[in-house]
Amino acid sequence: MKPFNELLETSAAAHGHLCPGQVVGVRMAMLGCRLIGLDEPTRREQIKKLIVYVEMDRCTADAVAHVTGAKLGRRSLKFMDYGIMAATFVNLETGKAFRVVSTEEARDLAVVYAPEASGKSQQQLTAYCRMPDSVLFRVQQVRVPIKPVDLPGPTRRKVTCNLCGQVIRDGREVIRDGGYVCRPCGENPYFSDAREITWTDMNWRPGEVPELDAPYDHGHHFEKPRKRGAEVIALR
Amino acid sequence: MLKKINLQDAVGTQLAHDITEIRPGEFKGAAFRKGHTVCNEDICHLQKLGKNHLYVIDLAEDEIHENEAAAILAGALAGEGVAWENNPREGKIGLTAAIDGLLQVNTAALAAFNMVDEVMCATLHTHTLVQKGKLVGATRAIPLVMKRAPIERAAAIARQNGGVLSVRALRKAMAGIVVTGSEVYHGLIEDRFAPILKEKVTALGSEVAGVTFAPDDADLIRQAIESHLENGCDLLLLSGGMSVDPDDVTRLAIRQAGATEMHYGASALPGAMFLVAWIGDVPLLGVPACGLYHRTTVLDLVLPRILAGERIGMKELAFFGHGGLCQDCPECVFPNCAFGKGS
Repeated sequence: MKPFNELLETSAAAHGHLCPGQVVGVRMAMLGCRLIGLDEPTRREQIKKLIVYVEMDRCTADAVAHVTGAKLGRRSLKFMDYGIMAATFVNLETGKAFRVVSTEEARDLAVVYAPEASGKSQQQLTAYCRMPDSVLFRVQQVRVPIKPVDLPGPTRRKVTCNLCGQVIRDGREVIRDGGYVCRPCGENPYFSDAREITWTDMNWRPGEVPELDAPYDHGHHFEKPRKRGAEVIALR
Repeated sequence: MLKKINLQDAVGTQLAHDITEIRPGEFKGAAFRKGHTVCNEDICHLQKLGKNHLYVIDLAEDEIHENEAAAILAGALAGEGVAWENNPREGKIGLTAAIDGLLQVNTAALAAFNMVDEVMCATLHTHTLVQKGKLVGATRAIPLVMKRAPIERAAAIARQNGGVLSVRALRKAMAGIVVTGSEVYHGLIEDRFAPILKEKVTALGSEVAGVTFAPDDADLIRQAIESHLENGCDLLLLSGGMSVDPDDVTRLAIRQAGATEMHYGASALPGAMFLVAWIGDVPLLGVPACGLYHRTTVLDLVLPRILAGERIGMKELAFFGHGGLCQDCPECVFPNCAFGKGS
């Protein structure tokens, strides 16, 4: 594995800025990989052995993904929306898995590990580079049962939604009234009021200049937030 | 795992932990030690100590007793020059100085260690001068029985950089003293600086090779410095000429003598105009006039640390600030006060 400083630099560049979360993420990934016995996770011969579960969508998650080379589209990166600064590293070959949790006390200890640094963020950043892993992390050995439909590789299962006709991959369908439906039809999806539209340059293809330069409002009514100052309050 | 039993049923069982007795103003200690087999005669004594139940311990594989935990913790906390005995009293193990020297506490690691719920360690302040046998810290596990993992994590934290506590022996320096000031050099007033500095140096086990007097002349002060260095001095103390007067040329002389590093101004009172310079590995300490008047100054904070091998620079001088204000007590009790203990 590349040295910490090099990984931190490239990770911060990929993420967009250097921050305490980047330091924690880079170190979390280095430790996780070390624990499951992968020294070069981004190398071709190791890349397929690794699955990483990140439990937050914060700076740390990007750093973990950068260092491990785990990617959502390769199915080697799983996002578990727990809001916990933790990631689990699974070696598919050995079955060994370790959950590395960032300690809350590390935040309080930043002041003693970097007393000379000014500003909370700078102090945490410097301190997180200095703390040993034993202070920065707690580690659990865990068992991670992975269903075949969650593994990397070709799509193992496809079904069609009984309600909208959408093809659903990898067993993500739900059963309603004895039939398969997609989750947007079967559950409360993250969006609402879905209505199919057409748009002016819908025949655009690569190599052509798009005509559409502003999103069309196709009948949805978006209420603009009004400024408080503009409100007229009648006094009686 | 702990199982609670009635005191009446405890005869014949072994105590799971030391049982403390406190007689106000008279005694505090273990009335019964761990492992003691409870007999009929003990029941009354135990009742008087407020015990109506006792614990019987049945340790699971991943559990650990406080005494075993304390030993693991003590072993991890103790760095070089620190000794401990595996004889916990009421779950506590004391850490003592194995040699005379300067106590060093890794305060960051200590804080991190104490952030682990199950453990504690309390120490004297870092940079305290201690003699062999002095109790410098103590540790214990908080619960009677706990999981082994947090104890081992706390021990790992304690072991970073060679333990939380260490005692470094002071080296025996050969000191050269340069007393500057034309008024002293020309005999207008009698020097009182050299005896004070000599006493401070010898009290720490070092020797003074010689005292040189120089007027307020940068060239002559430089020559005095060079002469001490040629004579093999590995510590130089310079008095006077540290202030803001045009006649104060000691700093210039130190620079001309080839100082590679120079830090003027310490965040301590008395001693704001203190100077630390280095010519290679030889420290030069510029002591301002406050050293003549005050019994304790920043020199008393810096000198032991220098002799313990620390490279004092700008950061160390700046960090004196918190706790660096001497209270100027009518009767000085330094080092048993807060002066210089904040960094």
